[in-house]
Amino acid sequence: MSAWHRADGSLDPRKVRAAYPILATRPGGNPLHYLDSAATAQRPKQVVDAVSNFLFTANANPHRGAYALGTAATDAYEGARARVARFLNVPATELIMLGSATEALNLVARSWGRANIHRGDLIVVTEAEHHANLIPWQQVAREADADIEFIPVDDRTGEILWDRLDSLLKLRPKVVALAHVSNVLGSIAPLAEIASHVHAVGALLSVDGCQAVSNMPVSIPELGADFYAFSAHKMGGLFSGGGLWARADLLAEMAPIETGGDMIREVRLRDATFAEGTQRFEAGTPDASGTVALAAACDFLDELGRAAIHEHETRLLARVLRELPDALPDVRILGTPHAEGRAGLVSFSSDLVHAHDLATILDRRGVAIRAGHHCAMPLHEQLELSATARVSVAPYTDDDDLDALFEGLRDARAIFSR
Amino acid sequence: MGGMDDLYREQILEHHRTPHNHGVLAEPSVSLDGRNPSCGDVITMQLVLDAAGTITDVAFSGRGCAISQASASLLTDELRGKSADEILALGTPYVMELLGVEVGPSRVHCALLGLETTQKAIERWRSR
Repeated sequence: MSAWHRADGSLDPRKVRAAYPILATRPGGNPLHYLDSAATAQRPKQVVDAVSNFLFTANANPHRGAYALGTAATDAYEGARARVARFLNVPATELIMLGSATEALNLVARSWGRANIHRGDLIVVTEAEHHANLIPWQQVAREADADIEFIPVDDRTGEILWDRLDSLLKLRPKVVALAHVSNVLGSIAPLAEIASHVHAVGALLSVDGCQAVSNMPVSIPELGADFYAFSAHKMGGLFSGGGLWARADLLAEMAPIETGGDMIREVRLRDATFAEGTQRFEAGTPDASGTVALAAACDFLDELGRAAIHEHETRLLARVLRELPDALPDVRILGTPHAEGRAGLVSFSSDLVHAHDLATILDRRGVAIRAGHHCAMPLHEQLELSATARVSVAPYTDDDDLDALFEGLRDARAIFSR
Repeated sequence: MGGMDDLYREQILEHHRTPHNHGVLAEPSVSLDGRNPSCGDVITMQLVLDAAGTITDVAFSGRGCAISQASASLLTDELRGKSADEILALGTPYVMELLGVEVGPSRVHCALLGLETTQKAIERWRSR
Protein backbone atom coordinates (compact mmCIF):
# COMPACT_ATOMS: atom_id res chain seq x y z
CA MET A 1 0.00 0.00 0.00
CA SER A 2 2.90 2.35 0.65
CA ALA A 3 3.45 3.74 -2.84
CA TRP A 4 0.45 6.05 -2.43
CA HIS A 5 0.27 6.41 1.33
CA ARG A 6 1.93 8.14 4.26
CA ALA A 7 3.45 6.17 7.12
CA ASP A 8 0.16 6.43 9.04
CA GLY A 9 -1.71 4.77 6.16
CA SER A 10 -3.49 7.94 5.00
CA LEU A 11 -3.55 8.81 1.32
CA ASP A 12 -0.69 11.08 0.24
CA PRO A 13 -2.07 13.19 -2.61
CA ARG A 14 1.45 14.29 -3.61
CA LYS A 15 2.27 10.68 -4.45
CA VAL A 16 -1.15 10.00 -5.99
CA ARG A 17 -0.93 13.05 -8.30
CA ALA A 18 2.11 11.57 -10.03
CA ALA A 19 -0.17 8.90 -11.53
CA TYR A 20 -2.29 11.54 -13.33
CA PRO A 21 -0.36 13.17 -16.22
CA ILE A 22 -3.10 15.73 -16.83
CA LEU A 23 -2.45 17.35 -13.44
CA ALA A 24 0.91 18.57 -14.73
CA THR A 25 -0.67 20.40 -17.69
CA ARG A 26 -1.51 24.09 -17.73
CA PRO A 27 -4.82 24.58 -19.55
CA GLY A 28 -5.23 28.30 -20.20
CA GLY A 29 -1.69 28.89 -18.90
CA ASN A 30 -2.50 28.15 -15.24
CA PRO A 31 -1.70 25.20 -13.01
CA LEU A 32 -4.73 22.91 -13.12
CA HIS A 33 -6.83 22.73 -9.95
CA TYR A 34 -9.40 20.18 -11.06
CA LEU A 35 -12.40 20.27 -8.74
CA ASP A 36 -14.95 18.71 -11.11
CA SER A 37 -14.31 15.01 -10.58
CA ALA A 38 -18.01 14.40 -9.92
CA ALA A 39 -18.61 15.29 -13.59
CA THR A 40 -15.80 13.07 -14.80
CA ALA A 41 -12.74 11.82 -12.94
CA GLN A 42 -9.23 12.20 -14.31
CA ARG A 43 -7.58 9.03 -15.60
CA PRO A 44 -4.51 7.53 -13.99
CA LYS A 45 -1.72 6.33 -16.26
CA GLN A 46 -2.44 2.76 -15.11
CA VAL A 47 -5.85 2.84 -16.81
CA VAL A 48 -4.61 4.19 -20.12
CA ASP A 49 -1.67 1.74 -20.08
CA ALA A 50 -4.09 -1.16 -19.54
CA VAL A 51 -6.16 -0.06 -22.56
CA SER A 52 -3.04 0.32 -24.75
CA ASN A 53 -1.81 -3.07 -23.63
CA PHE A 54 -5.16 -4.69 -24.45
CA LEU A 55 -5.45 -2.99 -27.85
CA PHE A 56 -1.82 -3.74 -28.78
CA THR A 57 -1.74 -7.35 -27.59
CA ALA A 58 -5.25 -8.82 -27.32
CA ASN A 59 -7.49 -6.85 -29.65
CA ALA A 60 -10.09 -8.98 -31.44
CA ASN A 61 -13.87 -9.22 -31.30
CA PRO A 62 -14.75 -10.98 -28.01
CA HIS A 63 -17.00 -14.07 -28.04
CA ARG A 64 -16.37 -14.74 -31.75
CA GLY A 65 -12.88 -15.47 -32.95
CA ALA A 66 -12.00 -19.17 -33.14
CA TYR A 67 -8.34 -18.29 -32.93
CA ALA A 68 -5.87 -17.63 -30.13
CA LEU A 69 -6.17 -13.85 -30.31
CA GLY A 70 -9.96 -14.07 -30.18
CA THR A 71 -9.69 -16.17 -27.04
CA ALA A 72 -7.31 -13.60 -25.54
CA ALA A 73 -9.86 -10.84 -26.24
CA THR A 74 -12.69 -12.87 -24.71
CA ASP A 75 -10.56 -13.62 -21.66
CA ALA A 76 -9.61 -9.96 -21.28
CA TYR A 77 -13.22 -8.84 -21.54
CA GLU A 78 -14.70 -11.49 -19.24
CA GLY A 79 -11.75 -11.16 -16.84
CA ALA A 80 -12.39 -7.42 -16.68
CA ARG A 81 -16.09 -8.03 -15.95
CA ALA A 82 -15.10 -10.39 -13.13
CA ARG A 83 -12.72 -7.76 -11.74
CA VAL A 84 -15.44 -5.08 -11.71
CA ALA A 85 -17.85 -7.55 -10.10
CA ARG A 86 -15.31 -8.28 -7.35
CA PHE A 87 -14.92 -4.51 -6.81
CA LEU A 88 -18.64 -4.31 -6.03
CA ASN A 89 -18.72 -7.70 -4.26
CA VAL A 90 -21.26 -9.27 -6.65
CA PRO A 91 -21.11 -12.36 -8.92
CA ALA A 92 -19.95 -11.59 -12.47
CA THR A 93 -23.02 -13.47 -13.75
CA GLU A 94 -25.19 -10.64 -12.35
CA LEU A 95 -23.20 -7.73 -13.77
CA ILE A 96 -24.33 -6.33 -17.14
CA MET A 97 -21.68 -4.23 -18.88
CA LEU A 98 -23.19 -1.29 -20.79
CA GLY A 99 -22.14 1.94 -22.44
CA SER A 100 -22.97 4.21 -19.51
CA ALA A 101 -24.89 4.55 -16.26
CA THR A 102 -27.60 6.30 -18.26
CA GLU A 103 -28.00 3.15 -20.35
CA ALA A 104 -28.12 1.10 -17.15
CA LEU A 105 -30.87 3.24 -15.60
CA ASN A 106 -32.82 3.19 -18.86
CA LEU A 107 -32.49 -0.60 -18.96
CA VAL A 108 -34.06 -0.90 -15.50
CA ALA A 109 -36.98 1.32 -16.47
CA ARG A 110 -37.52 0.03 -19.99
CA SER A 111 -37.02 -3.67 -19.30
CA TRP A 112 -38.11 -4.34 -15.71
CA GLY A 113 -40.31 -1.23 -15.59
CA ARG A 114 -42.27 -1.83 -18.80
CA ALA A 115 -42.96 -5.44 -17.82
CA ASN A 116 -43.98 -4.72 -14.24
CA ILE A 117 -45.44 -1.21 -14.08
CA HIS A 118 -49.09 -1.18 -15.09
CA ARG A 119 -51.96 1.27 -15.15
CA GLY A 120 -52.45 2.90 -11.75
CA ASP A 121 -49.20 1.53 -10.32
CA LEU A 122 -46.93 3.86 -8.39
CA ILE A 123 -43.26 4.72 -8.90
CA VAL A 124 -41.44 6.67 -6.16
CA VAL A 125 -38.31 8.76 -6.79
CA THR A 126 -36.74 11.67 -4.90
CA GLU A 127 -37.06 15.31 -5.92
CA ALA A 128 -33.26 15.44 -6.03
CA GLU A 129 -32.71 12.79 -8.70
CA HIS A 130 -30.35 13.23 -11.63
CA HIS A 131 -32.34 13.45 -14.87
CA ALA A 132 -31.02 9.98 -15.79
CA ASN A 133 -32.84 8.44 -12.83
CA LEU A 134 -35.99 10.53 -13.31
CA ILE A 135 -36.86 10.80 -16.99
CA PRO A 136 -36.76 7.02 -17.73
CA TRP A 137 -39.41 6.58 -14.99
CA GLN A 138 -41.45 9.50 -16.34
CA GLN A 139 -41.49 7.70 -19.68
CA VAL A 140 -42.55 4.39 -18.12
CA ALA A 141 -45.30 6.14 -16.15
CA ARG A 142 -46.59 7.93 -19.26
CA GLU A 143 -46.64 4.75 -21.33
CA ALA A 144 -48.28 2.63 -18.63
CA ASP A 145 -50.59 5.37 -17.30
CA ALA A 146 -48.92 4.88 -13.91
CA ASP A 147 -48.22 7.52 -11.26
CA ILE A 148 -45.01 8.98 -9.87
CA GLU A 149 -44.68 10.38 -6.37
CA PHE A 150 -41.66 12.14 -4.96
CA ILE A 151 -39.76 11.95 -1.71
CA PRO A 152 -39.55 15.68 -0.99
CA VAL A 153 -36.50 17.80 -0.19
CA ASP A 154 -36.01 20.52 2.40
CA ASP A 155 -36.66 23.73 0.45
CA ARG A 156 -33.68 25.50 2.02
CA THR A 157 -30.91 22.87 2.08
CA GLY A 158 -32.25 20.41 -0.46
CA GLU A 159 -31.70 17.57 1.99
CA ILE A 160 -33.91 14.62 1.11
CA LEU A 161 -36.59 14.17 3.77
CA TRP A 162 -36.25 10.43 4.28
CA ASP A 163 -38.82 10.48 7.09
CA ARG A 164 -41.45 11.10 4.37
CA LEU A 165 -40.67 7.78 2.72
CA ASP A 166 -42.91 5.70 4.97
CA SER A 167 -46.05 7.66 4.12
CA LEU A 168 -45.31 7.15 0.41
CA LEU A 169 -44.70 3.45 0.99
CA LYS A 170 -48.23 3.20 2.41
CA LEU A 171 -49.40 3.90 -1.17
CA ARG A 172 -47.75 0.59 -2.14
CA PRO A 173 -45.32 1.61 -4.88
CA LYS A 174 -43.85 -1.02 -7.18
CA VAL A 175 -40.40 0.56 -7.21
CA VAL A 176 -38.41 3.23 -5.39
CA ALA A 177 -35.57 4.79 -7.40
CA LEU A 178 -32.91 7.00 -5.84
CA ALA A 179 -29.23 7.91 -5.84
CA HIS A 180 -26.79 6.33 -3.38
CA VAL A 181 -25.06 9.73 -3.27
CA SER A 182 -26.85 12.78 -4.67
CA ASN A 183 -24.80 14.45 -7.40
CA VAL A 184 -25.88 17.89 -6.12
CA LEU A 185 -26.25 17.43 -2.36
CA GLY A 186 -23.38 15.02 -1.86
CA SER A 187 -25.39 13.30 0.87
CA ILE A 188 -25.11 9.54 1.30
CA ALA A 189 -28.56 7.90 1.39
CA PRO A 190 -29.08 5.51 4.34
CA LEU A 191 -29.64 2.68 1.87
CA ALA A 192 -29.79 -0.34 4.19
CA GLU A 193 -32.53 1.27 6.28
CA ILE A 194 -34.39 2.52 3.20
CA ALA A 195 -34.17 -0.93 1.61
CA SER A 196 -35.72 -2.67 4.62
CA HIS A 197 -38.70 -0.27 4.54
CA VAL A 198 -39.07 -0.53 0.76
CA HIS A 199 -38.93 -4.32 0.81
CA ALA A 200 -41.40 -4.50 3.69
CA VAL A 201 -44.14 -3.27 1.30
CA GLY A 202 -42.99 -5.53 -1.52
CA ALA A 203 -41.40 -2.80 -3.64
CA LEU A 204 -38.01 -2.90 -5.36
CA LEU A 205 -35.14 -0.49 -4.74
CA SER A 206 -33.26 0.77 -7.80
CA VAL A 207 -30.08 2.70 -6.99
CA ASP A 208 -28.00 5.12 -9.06
CA GLY A 209 -24.51 4.58 -7.64
CA CYS A 210 -22.58 6.97 -9.91
CA GLN A 211 -21.34 9.31 -7.19
CA ALA A 212 -20.72 6.57 -4.62
CA VAL A 213 -18.51 3.92 -6.20
CA SER A 214 -15.38 6.05 -6.59
CA ASN A 215 -15.64 7.94 -3.30
CA MET A 216 -16.36 5.30 -0.65
CA PRO A 217 -16.33 1.55 -0.10
CA VAL A 218 -19.36 0.00 -1.83
CA SER A 219 -20.36 -3.60 -1.27
CA ILE A 220 -23.66 -4.04 -3.08
CA PRO A 221 -24.98 -7.00 -1.03
CA GLU A 222 -24.80 -4.89 2.14
CA LEU A 223 -26.93 -2.12 0.63
CA GLY A 224 -30.15 -4.04 0.09
CA ALA A 225 -30.61 -2.70 -3.44
CA ASP A 226 -32.30 -4.72 -6.20
CA PHE A 227 -30.63 -2.79 -9.03
CA TYR A 228 -27.40 -0.80 -8.83
CA ALA A 229 -26.07 1.32 -11.72
CA PHE A 230 -22.65 2.93 -12.05
CA SER A 231 -20.50 4.82 -14.52
CA ALA A 232 -16.93 3.99 -15.61
CA HIS A 233 -15.69 7.50 -16.35
CA LYS A 234 -16.47 8.72 -12.85
CA MET A 235 -14.17 5.97 -11.53
CA GLY A 236 -11.19 6.81 -13.72
CA GLY A 237 -12.23 4.53 -16.58
CA LEU A 238 -13.02 5.66 -20.11
CA PHE A 239 -15.99 7.76 -21.19
CA SER A 240 -17.55 4.64 -22.60
CA GLY A 241 -18.57 2.10 -20.04
CA GLY A 242 -20.94 1.61 -17.20
CA GLY A 243 -22.79 -1.22 -15.66
CA LEU A 244 -25.88 -2.52 -14.01
CA TRP A 245 -25.99 -5.07 -11.26
CA ALA A 246 -29.40 -6.75 -11.10
CA ARG A 247 -30.62 -9.28 -8.55
CA ALA A 248 -30.26 -12.73 -10.13
CA ASP A 249 -33.97 -13.60 -10.15
CA LEU A 250 -34.91 -10.21 -11.62
CA LEU A 251 -32.18 -10.46 -14.25
CA ALA A 252 -33.43 -13.90 -15.28
CA GLU A 253 -36.90 -12.51 -16.02
CA MET A 254 -35.93 -9.25 -17.71
CA ALA A 255 -36.34 -8.91 -21.47
CA PRO A 256 -33.65 -7.28 -23.59
CA ILE A 257 -34.39 -3.76 -24.87
CA GLU A 258 -31.73 -3.87 -27.57
CA THR A 259 -31.35 -6.78 -29.93
CA GLY A 260 -28.72 -7.80 -32.43
CA GLY A 261 -25.54 -9.82 -32.54
CA ASP A 262 -23.99 -11.58 -29.55
CA MET A 263 -27.19 -11.63 -27.48
CA ILE A 264 -28.95 -14.54 -29.19
CA ARG A 265 -29.28 -18.28 -28.83
CA GLU A 266 -30.91 -19.08 -32.15
CA VAL A 267 -32.14 -16.85 -34.95
CA ARG A 268 -34.55 -17.82 -37.70
CA LEU A 269 -35.93 -15.52 -40.37
CA ARG A 270 -39.15 -14.83 -38.51
CA ASP A 271 -38.10 -15.09 -34.86
CA ALA A 272 -35.23 -15.49 -32.45
CA THR A 273 -34.45 -16.75 -28.98
CA PHE A 274 -32.07 -14.93 -26.70
CA ALA A 275 -28.98 -15.82 -24.74
CA GLU A 276 -29.19 -16.45 -21.01
CA GLY A 277 -27.86 -14.15 -18.33
CA THR A 278 -26.07 -10.86 -18.81
CA GLN A 279 -25.24 -11.57 -22.45
CA ARG A 280 -28.90 -11.06 -23.35
CA PHE A 281 -28.51 -7.35 -22.51
CA GLU A 282 -25.22 -6.80 -24.33
CA ALA A 283 -26.23 -6.67 -27.99
CA GLY A 284 -23.50 -6.01 -30.52
CA THR A 285 -19.75 -6.05 -30.07
CA PRO A 286 -19.09 -5.47 -26.37
CA ASP A 287 -17.05 -2.49 -25.18
CA ALA A 288 -14.03 -4.63 -24.40
CA SER A 289 -11.52 -1.77 -24.20
CA GLY A 290 -13.84 0.25 -21.94
CA THR A 291 -14.37 -2.73 -19.64
CA VAL A 292 -10.63 -3.47 -19.50
CA ALA A 293 -10.07 0.19 -18.58
CA LEU A 294 -12.74 0.00 -15.90
CA ALA A 295 -11.12 -3.10 -14.40
CA ALA A 296 -7.79 -1.24 -14.27
CA ALA A 297 -9.56 1.70 -12.62
CA CYS A 298 -10.93 -0.71 -9.99
CA ASP A 299 -7.42 -2.08 -9.44
CA PHE A 300 -6.12 1.44 -8.95
CA LEU A 301 -8.90 2.53 -6.58
CA ASP A 302 -8.30 -0.62 -4.53
CA GLU A 303 -4.56 0.06 -4.46
CA LEU A 304 -5.32 3.48 -3.02
CA GLY A 305 -7.89 1.90 -0.73
CA ARG A 306 -11.48 3.07 -0.84
CA ALA A 307 -11.63 3.66 2.91
CA ALA A 308 -8.47 5.78 2.64
CA ILE A 309 -9.97 7.66 -0.32
CA HIS A 310 -13.14 8.37 1.63
CA GLU A 311 -11.17 9.56 4.64
CA HIS A 312 -8.99 11.82 2.48
CA GLU A 313 -12.01 13.30 0.72
CA THR A 314 -13.93 13.78 3.97
CA ARG A 315 -11.03 15.82 5.36
CA LEU A 316 -11.01 18.01 2.23
CA LEU A 317 -14.79 18.45 2.29
CA ALA A 318 -14.63 19.42 5.96
CA ARG A 319 -12.21 22.19 5.01
CA VAL A 320 -14.46 23.37 2.18
CA LEU A 321 -17.48 23.48 4.50
CA ARG A 322 -15.49 25.27 7.23
CA GLU A 323 -13.93 27.95 5.03
CA LEU A 324 -16.72 28.64 2.52
CA PRO A 325 -18.62 31.08 4.77
CA ASP A 326 -15.42 33.11 5.28
CA ALA A 327 -14.73 33.37 1.58
CA LEU A 328 -18.37 34.09 0.62
CA PRO A 329 -20.29 35.45 3.60
CA ASP A 330 -23.75 34.95 2.08
CA VAL A 331 -23.05 31.39 0.94
CA ARG A 332 -25.93 28.90 0.98
CA ILE A 333 -24.57 25.37 1.29
CA LEU A 334 -26.77 22.54 0.04
CA GLY A 335 -27.02 19.20 1.79
CA THR A 336 -25.77 18.41 5.26
CA PRO A 337 -23.55 21.03 6.95
CA HIS A 338 -21.17 18.23 7.97
CA ALA A 339 -18.50 16.40 6.00
CA GLU A 340 -19.56 13.13 7.60
CA GLY A 341 -22.45 11.64 5.68
CA ARG A 342 -21.15 13.18 2.46
CA ALA A 343 -19.18 11.69 -0.38
CA GLY A 344 -17.05 13.64 -2.80
CA LEU A 345 -18.78 16.99 -3.27
CA VAL A 346 -20.25 20.22 -1.94
CA SER A 347 -22.69 22.45 -3.86
CA PHE A 348 -23.47 26.02 -2.90
CA SER A 349 -24.92 29.29 -4.11
CA SER A 350 -24.47 32.95 -3.33
CA ASP A 351 -26.78 35.89 -4.04
CA LEU A 352 -23.71 38.08 -4.48
CA VAL A 353 -22.08 36.02 -7.25
CA HIS A 354 -23.95 33.76 -9.66
CA ALA A 355 -22.46 30.28 -10.07
CA HIS A 356 -21.46 30.89 -13.71
CA ASP A 357 -19.64 34.08 -12.83
CA LEU A 358 -17.93 32.24 -10.02
CA ALA A 359 -16.80 29.47 -12.38
CA THR A 360 -15.44 32.00 -14.88
CA ILE A 361 -13.54 33.93 -12.20
CA LEU A 362 -12.13 30.72 -10.68
CA ASP A 363 -11.02 29.58 -14.12
CA ARG A 364 -8.59 32.50 -14.16
CA ARG A 365 -6.65 30.70 -11.46
CA GLY A 366 -6.93 27.33 -13.16
CA VAL A 367 -9.66 26.21 -10.74
CA ALA A 368 -12.21 24.03 -12.54
CA ILE A 369 -15.60 23.75 -10.85
CA ARG A 370 -19.04 22.92 -12.19
CA ALA A 371 -21.73 25.60 -12.42
CA GLY A 372 -25.29 24.93 -13.45
CA HIS A 373 -28.14 22.64 -12.51
CA HIS A 374 -25.98 19.46 -12.69
CA CYS A 375 -28.74 17.58 -14.55
CA ALA A 376 -31.07 18.06 -11.57
CA MET A 377 -33.39 20.86 -12.71
CA PRO A 378 -36.36 19.85 -10.51
CA LEU A 379 -34.20 20.03 -7.37
CA HIS A 380 -32.98 23.50 -8.31
CA GLU A 381 -36.59 24.49 -9.01
CA GLN A 382 -37.58 23.36 -5.49
CA LEU A 383 -34.73 25.41 -4.05
CA GLU A 384 -35.66 28.42 -6.24
CA LEU A 385 -32.15 28.46 -7.67
CA SER A 386 -31.33 28.54 -11.37
CA ALA A 387 -27.82 27.27 -10.80
CA THR A 388 -25.38 26.21 -8.11
CA ALA A 389 -21.61 25.90 -7.95
CA ARG A 390 -20.25 22.44 -7.23
CA VAL A 391 -16.81 21.58 -5.86
CA SER A 392 -15.91 17.90 -6.02
CA VAL A 393 -12.80 16.11 -4.81
CA ALA A 394 -10.89 12.95 -5.64
CA PRO A 395 -7.87 10.99 -4.41
CA TYR A 396 -5.61 13.42 -6.31
CA THR A 397 -7.15 16.59 -4.83
CA ASP A 398 -4.87 18.38 -2.38
CA ASP A 399 -4.84 21.45 -0.16
CA ASP A 400 -3.15 23.53 -2.89
CA ASP A 401 -6.29 22.99 -4.96
CA LEU A 402 -8.43 24.26 -2.10
CA ASP A 403 -6.08 27.21 -1.46
CA ALA A 404 -6.56 28.23 -5.10
CA LEU A 405 -10.33 27.74 -4.76
CA PHE A 406 -10.57 30.06 -1.77
CA GLU A 407 -8.30 32.68 -3.34
CA GLY A 408 -10.57 32.60 -6.39
CA LEU A 409 -13.69 32.93 -4.25
CA ARG A 410 -12.15 35.99 -2.61
CA ASP A 411 -11.43 37.44 -6.08
CA ALA A 412 -15.09 36.94 -6.97
CA ARG A 413 -16.28 38.54 -3.77
CA ALA A 414 -13.99 41.54 -4.35
CA ILE A 415 -15.20 41.99 -7.94
CA PHE A 416 -18.89 41.79 -7.05
CA SER A 417 -18.59 43.92 -3.90
CA ARG A 418 -17.18 46.88 -5.82
CA MET B 1 -6.38 39.68 -13.61
CA GLY B 2 -6.48 42.20 -16.49
CA GLY B 3 -8.83 40.12 -18.64
CA MET B 4 -11.09 39.44 -15.70
CA ASP B 5 -11.40 43.13 -14.88
CA ASP B 6 -12.34 43.58 -18.51
CA LEU B 7 -15.11 40.97 -18.40
CA TYR B 8 -16.39 42.12 -15.03
CA ARG B 9 -15.69 45.80 -15.53
CA GLU B 10 -17.75 48.48 -13.86
CA GLN B 11 -20.24 49.00 -16.69
CA ILE B 12 -21.19 45.32 -16.79
CA LEU B 13 -21.42 45.03 -13.01
CA GLU B 14 -23.53 48.20 -12.93
CA HIS B 15 -25.99 46.77 -15.47
CA HIS B 16 -26.04 43.55 -13.46
CA ARG B 17 -26.76 45.34 -10.16
CA THR B 18 -29.37 47.71 -11.56
CA PRO B 19 -30.50 46.37 -14.92
CA HIS B 20 -32.24 48.80 -17.25
CA ASN B 21 -35.74 48.04 -18.60
CA HIS B 22 -36.16 45.38 -15.94
CA GLY B 23 -39.73 44.49 -15.04
CA VAL B 24 -43.04 43.59 -16.59
CA LEU B 25 -45.05 45.53 -19.19
CA ALA B 26 -48.81 46.02 -18.80
CA GLU B 27 -49.68 45.27 -22.43
CA PRO B 28 -46.82 43.73 -24.39
CA SER B 29 -47.37 42.81 -28.04
CA VAL B 30 -45.45 39.67 -27.34
CA SER B 31 -43.86 38.02 -24.29
CA LEU B 32 -41.50 35.07 -24.46
CA ASP B 33 -39.47 32.99 -22.01
CA GLY B 34 -35.94 32.12 -23.04
CA ARG B 35 -33.93 29.46 -21.32
CA ASN B 36 -30.43 28.07 -21.44
CA PRO B 37 -31.06 24.37 -20.87
CA SER B 38 -27.37 23.76 -20.22
CA CYS B 39 -27.11 26.19 -17.32
CA GLY B 40 -30.64 26.97 -16.16
CA ASP B 41 -30.65 30.72 -16.84
CA VAL B 42 -34.11 32.05 -17.63
CA ILE B 43 -35.22 35.35 -19.10
CA THR B 44 -38.64 36.74 -20.05
CA MET B 45 -38.50 39.26 -22.86
CA GLN B 46 -41.50 41.52 -23.49
CA LEU B 47 -41.86 43.78 -26.51
CA VAL B 48 -44.34 46.38 -27.73
CA LEU B 49 -44.29 46.75 -31.53
CA ASP B 50 -46.24 49.24 -33.65
CA ALA B 51 -48.08 48.26 -36.83
CA ALA B 52 -44.94 48.87 -38.92
CA GLY B 53 -43.00 46.42 -36.78
CA THR B 54 -40.92 48.98 -34.89
CA ILE B 55 -40.15 48.36 -31.22
CA THR B 56 -41.70 51.05 -29.07
CA ASP B 57 -41.20 49.53 -25.63
CA VAL B 58 -39.31 46.65 -24.04
CA ALA B 59 -38.86 45.01 -20.65
CA PHE B 60 -37.14 41.89 -19.39
CA SER B 61 -37.10 39.85 -16.22
CA GLY B 62 -35.50 36.62 -15.11
CA ARG B 63 -32.54 35.28 -13.25
CA GLY B 64 -29.08 34.47 -14.34
CA CYS B 65 -25.42 35.35 -14.22
CA ALA B 66 -23.93 38.83 -14.53
CA ILE B 67 -23.13 38.28 -18.20
CA SER B 68 -26.67 37.26 -19.20
CA GLN B 69 -28.32 39.97 -17.10
CA ALA B 70 -25.95 42.76 -18.16
CA SER B 71 -26.12 41.87 -21.84
CA ALA B 72 -29.93 41.79 -21.71
CA SER B 73 -29.91 45.17 -19.97
CA LEU B 74 -27.49 46.69 -22.50
CA LEU B 75 -29.49 45.20 -25.39
CA THR B 76 -32.85 46.49 -24.22
CA ASP B 77 -31.39 50.03 -24.09
CA GLU B 78 -30.79 49.76 -27.84
CA LEU B 79 -34.04 48.16 -29.00
CA ARG B 80 -36.52 51.06 -29.01
CA GLY B 81 -36.90 52.56 -32.50
CA LYS B 82 -35.34 49.55 -34.21
CA SER B 83 -37.40 47.59 -36.74
CA ALA B 84 -38.09 43.89 -36.45
CA ASP B 85 -35.89 43.27 -39.51
CA GLU B 86 -33.00 45.21 -38.03
CA ILE B 87 -33.15 43.18 -34.83
CA LEU B 88 -33.40 39.87 -36.66
CA ALA B 89 -30.21 40.76 -38.53
CA LEU B 90 -28.19 41.21 -35.31
CA GLY B 91 -25.77 38.53 -34.21
CA THR B 92 -22.96 37.65 -31.83
CA PRO B 93 -20.63 40.51 -32.85
CA TYR B 94 -23.31 43.07 -31.97
CA VAL B 95 -23.72 41.70 -28.45
CA MET B 96 -19.95 41.53 -27.95
CA GLU B 97 -19.74 45.17 -29.02
CA LEU B 98 -22.42 46.14 -26.51
CA LEU B 99 -20.58 44.28 -23.76
CA GLY B 100 -17.32 45.86 -24.89
CA VAL B 101 -15.46 42.63 -24.33
CA GLU B 102 -15.01 39.29 -26.03
CA VAL B 103 -16.79 36.66 -23.95
CA GLY B 104 -15.10 33.25 -23.98
CA PRO B 105 -16.73 30.29 -25.75
CA SER B 106 -18.01 28.82 -22.48
CA ARG B 107 -20.02 31.96 -21.75
CA VAL B 108 -21.24 33.05 -25.20
CA HIS B 109 -24.61 31.38 -24.62
CA CYS B 110 -25.07 33.55 -21.50
CA ALA B 111 -24.34 36.72 -23.45
CA LEU B 112 -26.69 35.78 -26.31
CA LEU B 113 -29.70 34.72 -24.22
CA GLY B 114 -31.29 38.22 -24.35
CA LEU B 115 -30.84 38.71 -28.10
CA GLU B 116 -31.92 35.20 -29.04
CA THR B 117 -35.03 35.45 -26.89
CA THR B 118 -35.84 38.85 -28.44
CA GLN B 119 -35.47 37.44 -31.93
CA LYS B 120 -37.68 34.44 -31.16
CA ALA B 121 -40.25 36.82 -29.64
CA ILE B 122 -40.27 38.87 -32.85
CA GLU B 123 -40.73 35.72 -34.94
CA ARG B 124 -43.61 34.71 -32.73
CA TRP B 125 -45.13 38.19 -33.02
CA ARG B 126 -44.86 37.98 -36.82
CA SER B 127 -46.55 34.60 -37.01
CA ARG B 128 -49.39 35.69 -34.68
